[in-house]
Amino acid sequence: MSPKMTAAERMSRLLAVIPWVVEQQGTHLDDITTRFDYPKDQLVEDLTGVVFFVGVHPFTPDSLIEVDIDDEEEVQIRYADWFSRPQRLTPSEGARLLTAGRSLLSGRFNAADDGDEATGPLLRALTKLGTALGEAAEQAVEVSLGNAPADTLDALRSALGQRQRIEIEYYTYGRDELTTRVVEPLRIFSDNGYWYLQAWCLSAIDERVFRVDRIRAARSGGEPMEHEPSDSGGSFLLRGDGPNVVLRLHPDSAWVAEYHPIESLEVDADGTLVVRMVVTSPSWFERLMLRLGPQAEILSADSPLSDAVVSGAAERVLQRYRQ
Amino acid sequence: MDKLERLLNLTAALLNADRVLSADELRHRVAGYPPAKAAFRRSFERDKEDLRNMGIPLRTEAVPGTDPPIDGYRILRSEYAGRDLQLEPDELAALHLATSIVRLDGDDTGLRKLGGASADVSVPEVGHVPFDDRLARLIAAAANRRAVRFSYRGRDRSVEPWRLSFARGHWYLASWDQQREAERLFRVDRIAGPIELLDDAVEPLGIPTDPVSLRAWELSDEEPVAVRVAVDADQLAYFRHLVGEESISDDDTNIVTLQVRNHEAFRSFILSFLEHAEVLDPPEVRADIVNWLEALT
Repeated sequence: MSPKMTAAERMSRLLAVIPWVVEQQGTHLDDITTRFDYPKDQLVEDLTGVVFFVGVHPFTPDSLIEVDIDDEEEVQIRYADWFSRPQRLTPSEGARLLTAGRSLLSGRFNAADDGDEATGPLLRALTKLGTALGEAAEQAVEVSLGNAPADTLDALRSALGQRQRIEIEYYTYGRDELTTRVVEPLRIFSDNGYWYLQAWCLSAIDERVFRVDRIRAARSGGEPMEHEPSDSGGSFLLRGDGPNVVLRLHPDSAWVAEYHPIESLEVDADGTLVVRMVVTSPSWFERLMLRLGPQAEILSADSPLSDAVVSGAAERVLQRYRQ
Repeated sequence: MDKLERLLNLTAALLNADRVLSADELRHRVAGYPPAKAAFRRSFERDKEDLRNMGIPLRTEAVPGTDPPIDGYRILRSEYAGRDLQLEPDELAALHLATSIVRLDGDDTGLRKLGGASADVSVPEVGHVPFDDRLARLIAAAANRRAVRFSYRGRDRSVEPWRLSFARGHWYLASWDQQREAERLFRVDRIAGPIELLDDAVEPLGIPTDPVSLRAWELSDEEPVAVRVAVDADQLAYFRHLVGEESISDDDTNIVTLQVRNHEAFRSFILSFLEHAEVLDPPEVRADIVNWLEALT
């Protein structure tokens, strides 16, 4: 939050704060600050210097809002009849809350223990929210945070919770190989519809991010972890290093720019795209180029990437068809 | 006087009124406006805009008995205030938990109107789901059983939305297509241009297709073709996971049969396995892969 809020930002907060304080029949300043993301100094200034003087014609004392903050910093608000109910949720706000709630339900965060305790209040809240949003709101949104096998996800969560090493069989898509490795789970997260495991990998002696649906088997190693779990938020996926390639793409292949991190993008007048991207493994590059086929043209490529790599990969696959 | 104070006074006056008030009445009744008429007009126009941007339902109606009609203003409490959801503290906290654990693109202002964030919820964010106003519009239409019209792949579609589902990085709209008189699934990010709200839905609500169980090669209006694929043993488990339980696999072999409606999507999928998967039949699908690859050598 920027230190200086606009009049509109302060007003929309106050229209939520006033009914809350009225209904609670008194609330501590700190509670308002946390609940409504309202810096305390600004809040005190707005309550005592603004709200206190708000009222309706003819502005006699009984037509003005009464604000009282006592020595304990308890806030009382009275005579705010016009603002005694919070503003209606906009359709967009309602849809967002519904989506957030549905996402949490999809996460199966409590598969291991008794789920009712955590999902009970959420289900009740979503039912109440649904009645305000429309007759069919309850089934209007569904979210899948990832479709990794439930037993794999549970095994990883359990290892993370108990801070134990775990052995996984992992299919490395980029290098096209199946490996067995022991890892220390640091974090499990969902990004854009897939579950990922961030872990310390004892084979790589480094942190690695694994896609959970490519983990074939997970067995608890029973040994304690040596690395600390991480709770860093923000951007999830690290961008790898590697050679660059610049491709000219047919408009039908614009999805490439949506699915993969790209360094730069230009759209020409005829709708073709020029994208620069980092290639983290040759095998990944081969797959991408075989899928794109005649819809992509290599404009420039760092070594070892080249047209020859693509034709070599096509030839390898054709070998199988010629047998 | 602080602009905030004037906006609050204006809103209080409009909510408190039992009839519409003209601009002139508001000039006298609301504290904080400049006395000169022209300056008042400018402030008042900006304030109206601000209130509407805050989602306050400011009505404009003619003042009764005026001819030519004079604009009058008021805010109906029934339109301004939402229904009291009567959320228990643990229910509000659960909603707060949901908005904290899963990050949606855009601003989160709705929770505040329900009572804000609880202090005792502190969790790391574990997921991100894309979200925007167009999606919100479709969700609201589905929730209220309203039909919508939009352009998709160059054609106008009128549909009755059933459900919006997020799966594998994309939002899908399951709906009743009014022209085709059948259920249709759309990718929300491929909907072009504005989404227009139409009349109430007519067809009864159906059971929406779950896109989690649908694969890219199943998304099309074409008749399905059974395609047999041989997959290397060490990739079979991952392949089966991707194609889903319902595809027919001959037990104890590495051959998987897929029902293909969208041949481009199927080709793209099968080539992502490089030389570890091979189309056995039908011959025309096998020939399509071979021709595609030969063009690259």
